Amino acid sequence: MKDRLLPYWLLIPAFIIVLATTIYPLAYSFITSFRDWDLTESRRPGGFVGVENYAYAASESAFLNSLWVTTVFVVTSVILTVILAVALALLLRRTGPMHTFTRIILILPFAMSPALIGVSYRFMFNPEFGVLAQGLGAVFPALQGVPWLADPLLAMGILVLTDVWHWTPYMTFMCLGGLASIPRETEEAARIDGASNLRIIFGIILPQMRGVILVMAVLKTIFALKMFDQVVTLTGGGPGTSTETLAYFIFNVGFRWFDMGYASALAWILTAIMMFISIWYVRMLLSERKMATA
Amino acid sequence: MAEVRLVDIEKKYGSFLAVPKQSLTIHDGEFLVLLGPSGCGKTTTMRMIAGLEDITSGDIMIREERINDKPPKDRDIAMVFQNYGLYPHMTVRQNIEYPLKLRGIAKAARTKRVQETADKVELGALLDRRPSELSGGQRQRVALARAIVRTPSIFLMDEPLSNLDAKLRVTMRAELKHLHHELGVTTVYVTHDQMEAMTLATRVAVMREGRIVQLDTPKKIYAEPADLFVAGFIGSPSMNLIDGKVSDGVFRADGVNVPVDLPNRDGVVLGIRPEELEITDDATAPIGGQLYALELTGESTLVTLRNGPVSACARGHADFEAEINSPCYLTPKPGARFHLFDRASGERLDGVKH
Amino acid sequence: MRKPFLYLAERALLVLISVVVLFPIAWMFLTAFKQPRDAYSLSLNFEPTLQNFVTVFSDPWNLGSMVLNSVVVATVTVVIAVPCAALAAYSFSRFRVKGRKFLFFLILSTQFIPAVVIVLPFFLMFRQLDLLDTRIALIIVNLAIVTPFVIWMIKGFIDAIPTDSEEAAMIDGASRLRVIKDIVMPMAAPGILTSSIFCFILTWNEFLFALILSRRDAVTLPVGLVSFRTERGDLWELMSAAGVMITVPIFIMALFIQKHFTRGMTAGAVK
Repeated sequence: MKDRLLPYWLLIPAFIIVLATTIYPLAYSFITSFRDWDLTESRRPGGFVGVENYAYAASESAFLNSLWVTTVFVVTSVILTVILAVALALLLRRTGPMHTFTRIILILPFAMSPALIGVSYRFMFNPEFGVLAQGLGAVFPALQGVPWLADPLLAMGILVLTDVWHWTPYMTFMCLGGLASIPRETEEAARIDGASNLRIIFGIILPQMRGVILVMAVLKTIFALKMFDQVVTLTGGGPGTSTETLAYFIFNVGFRWFDMGYASALAWILTAIMMFISIWYVRMLLSERKMATA
Repeated sequence: MAEVRLVDIEKKYGSFLAVPKQSLTIHDGEFLVLLGPSGCGKTTTMRMIAGLEDITSGDIMIREERINDKPPKDRDIAMVFQNYGLYPHMTVRQNIEYPLKLRGIAKAARTKRVQETADKVELGALLDRRPSELSGGQRQRVALARAIVRTPSIFLMDEPLSNLDAKLRVTMRAELKHLHHELGVTTVYVTHDQMEAMTLATRVAVMREGRIVQLDTPKKIYAEPADLFVAGFIGSPSMNLIDGKVSDGVFRADGVNVPVDLPNRDGVVLGIRPEELEITDDATAPIGGQLYALELTGESTLVTLRNGPVSACARGHADFEAEINSPCYLTPKPGARFHLFDRASGERLDGVKH
Repeated sequence: MRKPFLYLAERALLVLISVVVLFPIAWMFLTAFKQPRDAYSLSLNFEPTLQNFVTVFSDPWNLGSMVLNSVVVATVTVVIAVPCAALAAYSFSRFRVKGRKFLFFLILSTQFIPAVVIVLPFFLMFRQLDLLDTRIALIIVNLAIVTPFVIWMIKGFIDAIPTDSEEAAMIDGASRLRVIKDIVMPMAAPGILTSSIFCFILTWNEFLFALILSRRDAVTLPVGLVSFRTERGDLWELMSAAGVMITVPIFIMALFIQKHFTRGMTAGAVK
């Protein structure tokens, strides 16, 4: 056929964009990660130093701290978001004016700029005049005078809170879509057989949702690993380095200390973690599909 | 108008052979029906004619011109899809007009032809509606109008009636037949409904696993099915097929004794159509057993009897009544025809007059 | 059939969710209309004022130029990314060509690359080309995050459109490109609009690239927020006013696409 090449022609514009904006910089930073390049000393890249940047990371406590902070953040935020999203979706799948209203406003937190979310939570948790800090103190006297963002553990908690607030709606929408694709008949059959609501949810619906929940969990993991904006506007990595996530740490290395070689190596470590998780995810998903069709 | 020839065409999807190498000639002005169960390759064959599917090898000729490499738009064909394939964002008028517009026909001529065509299929009053505002039957008519508006040399129809309800299907069937008579355009029609095939076709090509097993007029296919598959596929209720053997010039199975003109052999299938059997009290009748079920269809009663593994059905009078499990006997009507097939290969052994 | 207790509990839960969702937003909106002295009190009894908006748009904050930057960057990104992505999505959705799966996976896998990885080399490159602190630089890097996502999203929408109409059009005499223009694009229009708005929101809210690549001239709204942190402390009422400016256009768009958005999300995600 004459237009045999058309499929490729259609791909070309998008591919040029993707190649130029991701593949190229990726390759560039990969090379840089093997170099010694301190931007404050030289505008030109320095010599190759092998895996020195990577080796340094393995021994640097600030990096290891950020790795730990990231792990804590990712695990708590993924678990909370997924559980809340599934619960919300189960609640919101019914029809009714209140359900519809809630579904509609649920898009707002997702549309809100994460940087702004950080700012507004920082405002609300200000110990002196923050509405949440004051409000919580008034309701629970034990919480009066709690320093909130000045406390390492609480600061992490609030950081997770902002992320869960931001992402739960999106995950709920995904979950609602998954729920809609489950045939109504199985649930109705179970109901006629006399199963209770809880049994239907745990015995009939959730097992069929495993694939969707898996996708949600992995996407959320990826988003959580990338999370950066709120760290800047909410905690600034503090108090101390207690909320310094990997993305924020890399940013500091690259753009506060201008150590390009080391920052590139760190960035590649983060990329590798993400790649590892996504490959693991694809494999899980494939075996899930196999089970579903078997 | 045109003759279509498929010469040694073959279609593979990877290593899967969808349509094995075969040839087919569709005569000028003929209404050819491709009939078969789902997945038999009939739609693939039609889509190859349309140019929507590449051919793995072989040639497709329209008016003796090889069109393998021509895109669908240059093949001078029109097609009606199972799901109609209407343009949901256009009005009925724009839908019908679109093929003309693509061919650069002037506005005034277009308007006139759209109006004429719409009137022909009784859509004249609905021209400014959208497809979503039409009923199934009306959408079907829009698809039809869009196909006939530019008088192509070939019509392709892919199960066009299968999404309609039973009653509408019969009406539309008659309309299609009338339309073909009026326009005389070569038509290829895909269906799995043998009734549609019988009523519409000039010739029917019965397909199975990608292969055309019989190509003939409906009458001939009904009267003389080429093999066991065709015998079982054509006719409603379907032909009685009884497993047995031939010895001493008689076909034998439980309760069945039919004289046939065949040498002794095992693994024979005897076929006879329910409408060619009648119920009798004569215990020496060729087929005997216990009454299994009575089904009143309105104009007649389907009488099924069983005897061990043998099951046979006859079309009896609407007022026939008897006790279930009582003895029952069937005998061929005058002029009825027994068909004999080889069990293993399915091939026709010989037809014998009773 | 359902028990009244469950019924009430469900309503109560829905109200609670709405409060959790709306409260932080509402508080920001209220603060934006408060006098500076009221901003630090929790009282709802205040005299509303537009003064904060006047302040942020005048010297030294000049929110106007940030609004302009944000609008230009987001719009141009959408205008470049969406048409390219739509063509690619169509190709991925409809053609069974060799290497299709690999290419699609390649595009999707770029989503897993952290933005920091991309921005480092771009920072160096733009510095070399003297493009730091320009809108062009921001548009280029934004294309990186947005394009793969939009391809994925539009593909989900196109996958959901049956091919019948396209095939009918090809037989009616249209070429592939004509089919795309006359049939596919109009039929996919709601999906493409949804994806465009989604793309706009992503770019509009983008923070990391803008923080690193802009200093003064090309600063966008989210980064502008940071500038309200001064030696005198955080100027909450001004931040809130700026926050309102960031959210209002985005909220309108988001509510507009809410229905399609849910569908598009899941169409792409489930496959």
